[in-house]
Amino acid sequence: MTEGAMTEAGPLLEISDLSIRFGGAPSNLVDGLSLRLSAGETLCIVGESGCGKSLTALALMGLLPMPPARRMSGRAVFEGRDLFELSLDQLKDIRGDRMAMIFQEPMTSLNPAIKVGEQIAESVRRHRGVSRAEARAHALEMLCRVRIPAPEKRLDEYPHQMSGGMRQRAMIAMALANDPALLIADEPTTALDVTVQAQVLDLMRALQQESGAALIMITHDLGVVAEMADTVAVMYAGRIVETGPVARIFEDPQHPYTIGLMSSMPDLGPRGGRLVTIPGVVPPADAMPEGCRFASRCPFAAPACAEAPPLRDLAEGHSVACWLAPLEAVEPGAAEEVA
Amino acid sequence: MLGFLTRRLLIAIPTILLISIFVFTLQKLLPGDPVLAMAGEERDPAVIEFLREKYRLNDPIWMQYFNWIGGALTGDLGISLRTQQPVLTLIAEKLPVTIQLAVMALVIALVIGVPTGVLSAYRKGSVIDWVANIVALSGLSIPNFWLGIMLILLVSVKLGWLPASGYVPLTEDPLQSIRTMIMPAFVLGTGLAATLMRHTRSAMLGVLRSDYVRTARAKGLGESVVVLKHALRNALIPIVTVTTLLFGELLAGAVLTEQIFTIPGFGKLVVDAVFNRDYAVVQGIVLCTAVAFIAMNILADAIYRVLNPRMREEQ
Repeated sequence: MTEGAMTEAGPLLEISDLSIRFGGAPSNLVDGLSLRLSAGETLCIVGESGCGKSLTALALMGLLPMPPARRMSGRAVFEGRDLFELSLDQLKDIRGDRMAMIFQEPMTSLNPAIKVGEQIAESVRRHRGVSRAEARAHALEMLCRVRIPAPEKRLDEYPHQMSGGMRQRAMIAMALANDPALLIADEPTTALDVTVQAQVLDLMRALQQESGAALIMITHDLGVVAEMADTVAVMYAGRIVETGPVARIFEDPQHPYTIGLMSSMPDLGPRGGRLVTIPGVVPPADAMPEGCRFASRCPFAAPACAEAPPLRDLAEGHSVACWLAPLEAVEPGAAEEVA
Repeated sequence: MLGFLTRRLLIAIPTILLISIFVFTLQKLLPGDPVLAMAGEERDPAVIEFLREKYRLNDPIWMQYFNWIGGALTGDLGISLRTQQPVLTLIAEKLPVTIQLAVMALVIALVIGVPTGVLSAYRKGSVIDWVANIVALSGLSIPNFWLGIMLILLVSVKLGWLPASGYVPLTEDPLQSIRTMIMPAFVLGTGLAATLMRHTRSAMLGVLRSDYVRTARAKGLGESVVVLKHALRNALIPIVTVTTLLFGELLAGAVLTEQIFTIPGFGKLVVDAVFNRDYAVVQGIVLCTAVAFIAMNILADAIYRVLNPRMREEQ
C-alpha cells in the first residue's frame, strides 16, 4: 500500500466510538471517542492527566496494560485495516513500522543496558530485514537526522551517557527509523527543560515535514498545541468535548471546559492579577455522572446537562459536545466570567 | 576493568585480615580445651604441659595469632591437632569435592530456577505461574535429607540407575564422577532453584512493567526478544547476587547432603573440626571460606559491570 494512494483516499486513521474500561470499573475511562486524521496532519489531543488521552494512544498501539479484564469496543481503521481486529502478529508488523510512538519519559523509555545505536537498529532489522551493518548505518543516519552531536560516537553509547534532550532525540530517531505514516507522541516534551522543549518541538515539526508522517500529539500544554497542531481535540474525563481546527479552537472556543483551559493559560508580559482556575475536580471513575461529565464544574450547567450531550458540528470541522453551544446565543461575553 | 579488579583485591586484604583476627579471638573464647582432649583419660600434667609447649599455646594470644597468620601467608595453616595432618592438605583434599558439588548444584538450580521464574513472571496469574509457585514452595519446604533418601530409594535401590553413594574425583573419571555427584547436586539444586525462581520472578515482574519494555513492544519486536533481550538482561542483577550468595552457602552448608551420599566434602571436615576443638582446622576453614566468599563477591561485582553499563563509570 503506497503512501501516495492513502493521502488522496480518505483518512489515514479513523477512530469510531472507542470505549475503554478496566475490569470492575463502573464507567468507561475512554467513552465513545471518535477521531479522524488525514495523512501528514497534526492532531493535538489536549486534556488534564487522567482524561484518557494516553490510554487512547496506547490502545491504538495495542500496548494497553492487560489486567485480567479489559473491555474495549469501537473501531480504529488505520490504512484501511481495523487495528482492533488485527492479530497480535499483524499488529507487531505495523508497530514501529507504519505506526510508531514516542513516550513521555526519555529517562526510562530507553533500555539502560543496550547501546542506543542498537536500540534504533533492532527496529530497522525487525521491519526491513536488513543486515546488521546496514541497520547500523541506518541508525547512524537517523541520529544525524535528529541532529544529535557526534552521532558516530553516540551509536555506541548507553542512554545514561546522554542528556534528557538527547535521549528524546534518540527516541524520535527510533520512532521515525522506518518512516511511519503515523507518529504518536505522548507528551514528548513534558519531562524536558523548557529550552530543550522548544528544540525538540522544532525538530519534530521539521522531521514531520520531511517525512510527511501524520502526528498525534498528546499534551496538556496549550503552548505546544498552538505551536504544533493543525487540529485540536479537547478531552475531558474520557470524552472528546470539543474538536476543530487549531485557529478556531483558540479564537472561538465553545465548550465551557475549553474556555476554562484557555483562560487558565498564563500570558507573557506583566502579570495581570490571578490566573483563572476551573473550580472543582474531575469526577472519580466510580462516581462518573450519567450525563455531561463536566456539568459539576460548569458555570453554565443547566437541567439539560443531566443527559450526555453528543458531539455536534457547529461549523466546518468544529464540533462541540455541549447542549448550550454555540455559547453566544446563551449569554454573550460569558467566556470572561468562567472563573 | 583491570583497575577495578586491582582496587577490589586491595580492599579484600584488610577484610580478610579482620576476619582472621575475629575468628582467631572468638575461638579462644570458646569453652573447651584441645589439649585436654588430646591428653587422654589420665590427664597427666606433664603431658599437658608438654602439649601446650609443643603447640605454643602458652604464648600470649597476639603472638599465637601472628604465628598463625604469618604461616598462613606462606601457605602453612598449621597442623590438625587431631589427625596431625597439615590443615592445608586437609582442605586441599576436601575443597575440590565440595566445589564440584556446589557448581553442579548451582547449574541445576539456574537451569531450573531462572527459566521458570521468567515464565512465571511473564504469565503472571496463569496456571503456569500457580504451578511454578506451588512447586517452588514445596521445593523450599521439603528437607534436603528427606529428598536425598527418597531419591536414593527410587533411583538407586529401585531402578538401579545411579550409584547410591561414593565419590570419584573428576580428574580420574569425569563421567563416573558426574554420575556419583548428580543426585546430591540435584537434591541441593532443587532447593536453590526454588529460591532462584522466586527472585527471578519478582525481578522480572518489575522489569516487565518498565517503560523500556513498552518501548521495545512499540517497536514491533517479538515477545521472545522483548523478554530475553530487553527484560531479562535488566533482571539479571538480583539473580547474580542471589546466585553468588547461594554458592557461598553451598560451600559450608552441604553437610547433611554430603553425609547422606557419603561424599568426602568440606562439610564433614567442618563439623568434625568444630566438635573436636581442632582450632587450626576451624581457623583454616573459616579463612578459606571467607576468601571464597570475597572472591565470589568480586566476581559478582565484575558481572554487574558487564550487565549494567551505568556501573562501569562509578569509581
